[in-house]
This record gives sequence, structure tokens and C-alpha cells, in this order.
Amino acid sequence: MTYPRLVWKNLLRHPLRTVFTTLSIALSIFLVCAVLTLPGALDAIIERSASNLRITVHHKAGLSYWLPYAYVHKLRSVPGVTAVNHYSWFGGVYDEPKNMFPNFAMDPETVGQVWAEYGFDPIALERFRKIRNAALVGEQTMRKFHFRIGQQVTLRSSVYPVDLTFQIVGVIPRPDSPLFWFNRQYLEEAMERYGGMRMVGWVWLRVARPEDAERVMRTVVDLFRNSEAEVAAETEKSFFASFFSSMQGILRVVLIVGFLVVGAVVLIAANTAAMGVRERIPEIAVLKSLGFQRRPILLTLMAESALVALLGGLLGAAAAYGILGALAAAGKTGAMPFLGPLASFRMSPGVAAQGVSIALAVGLVAGIVPAWNGARLNVVEALRRLF
Amino acid sequence: MPAVLSARDLHREYHMGAELVRAVRGVSLDVAEGDYLAIVGPSGCGKSTLLNLLGGIDRPSAGTVTIRDQRLDQMRDADLTRFRLYHLGFVFQRFYLMPALTALENVELPMAEAKVEKRARRERARTLLSYVGLDGRHAHRPAQLSGGEQQRVAIARAVVTDPDLLVADEPTGDLDARSAVEILTLLRELNRAFAKTVVMVTHDPRAERFVDAVVHLDKGVLVNGTGGTP
Repeated sequence: MTYPRLVWKNLLRHPLRTVFTTLSIALSIFLVCAVLTLPGALDAIIERSASNLRITVHHKAGLSYWLPYAYVHKLRSVPGVTAVNHYSWFGGVYDEPKNMFPNFAMDPETVGQVWAEYGFDPIALERFRKIRNAALVGEQTMRKFHFRIGQQVTLRSSVYPVDLTFQIVGVIPRPDSPLFWFNRQYLEEAMERYGGMRMVGWVWLRVARPEDAERVMRTVVDLFRNSEAEVAAETEKSFFASFFSSMQGILRVVLIVGFLVVGAVVLIAANTAAMGVRERIPEIAVLKSLGFQRRPILLTLMAESALVALLGGLLGAAAAYGILGALAAAGKTGAMPFLGPLASFRMSPGVAAQGVSIALAVGLVAGIVPAWNGARLNVVEALRRLF
Repeated sequence: MPAVLSARDLHREYHMGAELVRAVRGVSLDVAEGDYLAIVGPSGCGKSTLLNLLGGIDRPSAGTVTIRDQRLDQMRDADLTRFRLYHLGFVFQRFYLMPALTALENVELPMAEAKVEKRARRERARTLLSYVGLDGRHAHRPAQLSGGEQQRVAIARAVVTDPDLLVADEPTGDLDARSAVEILTLLRELNRAFAKTVVMVTHDPRAERFVDAVVHLDKGVLVNGTGGTP
């Protein structure tokens, strides 16, 4: 008979209670791990999809304010800029209003230069340049709507009074890209009878080296200072980072809720531990009368609570690791296109370790008071209650 | 025979709500090595309180308790707990075995705290269980044993560290007549064969046939005795 065996046997006395306590801790740690993965996942999205070689130039007042199209030409002449492209939000809907994805009118001539690292299929780029209504579509959107290359797709714009039909000529080779790009000229022609199109959403600049970016951004801002539409310029990476920073509030709420769940589980686990000690007051009293010191009693009671929590933590972290990993794998293969950004959530071993540590802390915090009370139990008082 | 246990002018008072209870009043008692002593008396006369004082799980309000020349009333809590482990064995009315452990593991338990090597404690626990007539019941949990068998396990657990004094609080209180006689006989055997000193609190009138001495307690005062040295 050893103390670890005593702890184990005591845990098995009420198997159902032990299983439910373990599972409640496992579930909360699963949630905590998923929540802790969020910030890292957003960082990973930015890291994967954004570059320091691309600069976005937009209206100083925000993305909902557009820039004069003439700015595109002026920006081509800025020293250090190797290629220029632009985005104009089309707000197109496919079939039903719920079928939305980001679609932009842009310049097909410089796609290969501005997004050089994407590794576009040269044939697709060639067709994108040559066919007036050609479209390049992100892999995620291709999967989600089961689009095929060569397919005709009609989008109904929520911004312009036109419906446009496109021919998909190739993909944007990014597994989690939802984008839909088409030739701005096609939109301009459609808009001629409505008075034409003289504005642009924002402009992309490509620089040769990351260290050029700062200087180019300064030049660009200075170029349009005191103009009708002053601009702000930032690298793609910081652009996405500030875009995601608008989600920080939500993220904070999610984190708070996650930790409140942990708090609730601490209370449940503490109650279970206290109940376990209360039930065993006679045994503890007898152990003390037999000559057991406070320390082994305290440690065995704490160990019970910690072991349940640790087991729950390991289960929860393993489940989170497995499920988020499976979702990421499914996202990659396109088996579950509805997953969206969930498919980018990859849990790091660090987050798993944090989850297990939190579980262990839950066990220790929940167990300390009942165990302390048990270890300090007055034998005579306890025996008086018994006999 | 020298006294294993010596109590002098023991008093124990405690508050129960606003009322001051004088559970033990001026008890003096000597128990010689190898004695088998029964303390009898009506319910609420302070028998169990006196036994708790003699067994070192309670402290007297006044007076002294000495076992093998060591003053229990002066010891620190931790020292007293350690003293109980090596020098005292307890048997309770309701057995109080660990329900999750087998009979063998229950008997081993005090030796685990006494840091006896695993193989030695297992061997000793087996020997003792055989001695108390529980061969073949080593792997049974308390719930799978009868009351008499559970009390035998409890007795084996009480003597496993070879204590100087065995303290039994109503050991037959929860048993049928036949099991009660068996337990009284077993305690007698331990007393005779191994010279174990036994102090027992009991209501059981049959106990008088098995013990060397009987002392009577009434309202916390030792009133008379047969044999022994009250």
C-alpha cells in the first residue's frame, strides 16, 4: 500500500463523480485552449497572407472613403515603387445575399508583379489579361461554391447598379483566400451609362526591399498632403494587423468569457473536493488517531484534486489539439469549406501546455481549502460527531 | 509488573453550547504491562472521553497521562501523533476501515506511515490477517466482509506496528453475540499470547469474563473496580 495507490483508490470510489468532474474540467480546458489559440491564429493569418513588400495606400479618413483614380498614375512615378495595382470594392453577391465573398475590380496587368510571391499560373495570368470579363478566384471561394475554371459566374453588385458575368480563368493560389478579382475596365465599361467611374478604393504598391517601404510610404503621404483626399500608407502586414485589431474588443470578451468558465469550473471542482473530504471525515479522523501526520493527509487529499484536474486538462488540451488540427486539415483539403477562418486555427504545443497548467492550478486551488481543513481536523471533535 | 499506562488526577472539561461539561473528574489509574482492563459504565458517563485521554487523541484539562515514562499531556501535536503511530493501537466500534482498500491494504496502512519497507509490511500484514482468521479474505474490501470480519481486520491494523497499548472503544458494540464473543476472545488471545496491554471501553456484560480487571465510571468519576489498580 503506497500513498499514490491510496489516492488512486479514493478517486475510484465514486467513479461517476470522478468522470464527470474530469470531463467538466476537460471541457473548460478545451474552450480555454481554443480561446488562447485565437490571437496566435490571427497573427498566423497575417504572417501567411501579408507582406512587408506590399504597401496599401488608402484615404486618410478610412477605407470607406475612396480616392481619385488619378492617384494610381501619380503613384507609379514614386521612386522605389516597382509595381502598382488597386482595389475597388464591388460588393458582388452570388445567387443569394448570403453568398458573399470579397470581390474587387483591379488591374490585371500587374497582378504577377504586385503579388509575385503567390506563384500564379502564367497561363491563368495571361488569360486574366486578355479576356475582358476574366476573374481570378481564391481557393477557398472555389471550394466553397464548387467553382470550376471556365465557369461563368454572375455577381449582383451591392455598390454599383450592375450585374456582371465573369469567366473564371484561374485561381489565386492561397488555400485560405476568399478573394475574387476581376478587370476594372470591365466594370468601367458597364458603368459608362451611369456616368462612369472615377474613384478607386485603395492602391497597392510593390517595393523591391522591405527597407524601402518606410521611405516610399513617407513620400506617398507627402505627395498628397493638403490635396482633396489625403492618404495614409502602411505595409500590408500592418494594414491587416490594424484591421484585425478592430477585433481585439471581441477577442477580449471571448477571453474573459473563457476565463469565467475556468472560474466556474474551479468552484465546481472545489465543491466536489469539499464534498469528498466531508464524506471522509470519519476516515481522516481515524487516520489521524492511527498516527498519520497532517502532511501526508494534506498531500493525498490535494493529490486527488490535482490528479482529476490534470487528467481533465490533458484530455481537454488533447481534444483541442486534435479537433483544431483536424479542422485545419479539413480546411486545407477543402473538405469543409464552411469552416472559414476556423481552418487557420492551429494550436501550438505552448497553448496546450498553458491549458494543462491552468487545469493543474484549478485542481490545486480547488483542493487546497478542503484538504487543509481535512488535515487540520480535530480528531476528538470528529470522533465525537461519529460516536 | 511495571505500569505501561499511568493516569493521575485526570480532568476533562469542555463547553457544549453554554453548558460546561465535566466529562472526566479526577481519574487516576495504573495499567500494568500485559493487563486487559475494561472500563464500564452507563452511557454518557465519560468512558470514551477517558479512553481518548488515555490514547493520546485528546488532551486533559488537568492531570497527567504517562505511557512508558513519556508524558502525553506535554507533547506537541506532531510528537503525539508520531507517538500514537508507534506505541498505541486503536480499535473502534464501527471499525472505520478504508472502504476503497482491501483487507490487506488496510492492515498495511499504518506501516506505510511508519515507513516500513514494502515487502516487510506486506508480509507482516498477511501474517496478522492469518492470525485473526482471515486467510483467503486478504483481497476483500470492507463492504465484502461481515461486521465480525471487519473488526478482525481493524484489530490486525491496530497491532500491526506492535504498539505498547491497545485501546478499544466499544469493539463489540456493532456486532452480533457470536461475533462479539469471537472479538473478545481474539483480544484475549492477543493479550495472553503477545502480552499486549489492552484497555477497553464497553457496555458488553460478557466482557467481564475475558478481562483481568473492570473499572466502573460514573459521571466521570472512577467509582470502584475488580482487579486492576484504580
